[in-house]
Amino acid sequence: MKTTDFNYKSLKNKVILVTGATSGIGKAVSEQLLNQDAKVFGIGRDITKIDKSLKKNKNFTLISFDLYEINEIENLLNNLVDKNTKFDGFVNCAGREETIPLNLYKSDKIKSLYNLNVFSSIELLRVFSKKKISNNFSSIVFISSVMGELGMPGKVGYCSSKSAILGVVKSSSLELSKRRIRVNAVSPGIVLTPLTEKLFLKISDENISAIKDMHPLGFGKTEDVAPLILFLLSAQSKWVTGQNIKVDGGYSVK
Amino acid sequence: MKKQEFINKLKEELEVEIEVTIDTSIKDLDEWDSLGAMILIAFVSDSFGVTLSADDIKNISTFKSLIERIGLEKFE
Repeated sequence: MKTTDFNYKSLKNKVILVTGATSGIGKAVSEQLLNQDAKVFGIGRDITKIDKSLKKNKNFTLISFDLYEINEIENLLNNLVDKNTKFDGFVNCAGREETIPLNLYKSDKIKSLYNLNVFSSIELLRVFSKKKISNNFSSIVFISSVMGELGMPGKVGYCSSKSAILGVVKSSSLELSKRRIRVNAVSPGIVLTPLTEKLFLKISDENISAIKDMHPLGFGKTEDVAPLILFLLSAQSKWVTGQNIKVDGGYSVK
Repeated sequence: MKKQEFINKLKEELEVEIEVTIDTSIKDLDEWDSLGAMILIAFVSDSFGVTLSADDIKNISTFKSLIERIGLEKFE
């Protein structure tokens, strides 16, 4: 069974904002949304990385923007909407991974990670949740990580930043429920993406094998995670909010 | 950065208690473990913008070999 064998009619013509759209999970989500005839505004820092087939799709608009420019996020979203076009969904895939031992983790380093993984996410959420930017019944999905609930040496920053997202999801889901806007998190295990490729370069083959063995179903692919995100964006999940759903090949229960 | 300065700073980050020289074997230090390898990678990346790989860590023995892997031209 192909993981793209599904049809969410409720996503047709919906307008979805995706960060981290040029690679990994964000790219897979954008592609699958376009397959459902949704319109996608994809934000990426390095737009030269964009897939040709995404670029050619008339329902895909690519926006080059550096999410570290947190104070510019409000302008960015204001310029994407008009009285005829507001967003129906937001998927936050942008983020970075970091392995730094605690004794070297001074606060300016942590702040840099948090700027991308947490503060830009909160600012995007804050602006997205304004009535002029999003429709009622919108759905928001944050990509956290199984590492948001688990620990690992060298990951004080990364784990805590992904944990922070879970707190954002729970509180904002309650705050936005009046407008029937839902907020959920998807927590992947290790998914084969450019982010994890970079991680694997730094560790030995034995270590990579050991990490793979910790996933009963092996490493994941982006197309294993994207369908759940589409479900959460669709009307099929209209009673699901404030949740964190792990998609991890069994990693977190082993 | 001078070589001895680098060695002293790294020794401090690794919390090594004995005196070390350029010929000291890093991996024979009592304080060397997988966390030590992480500290080494992060410290070298911060100080020189050089990212050591898992293979580099396997091949490095003394502080001298580490300095050579980073690149002698990066030191005063």
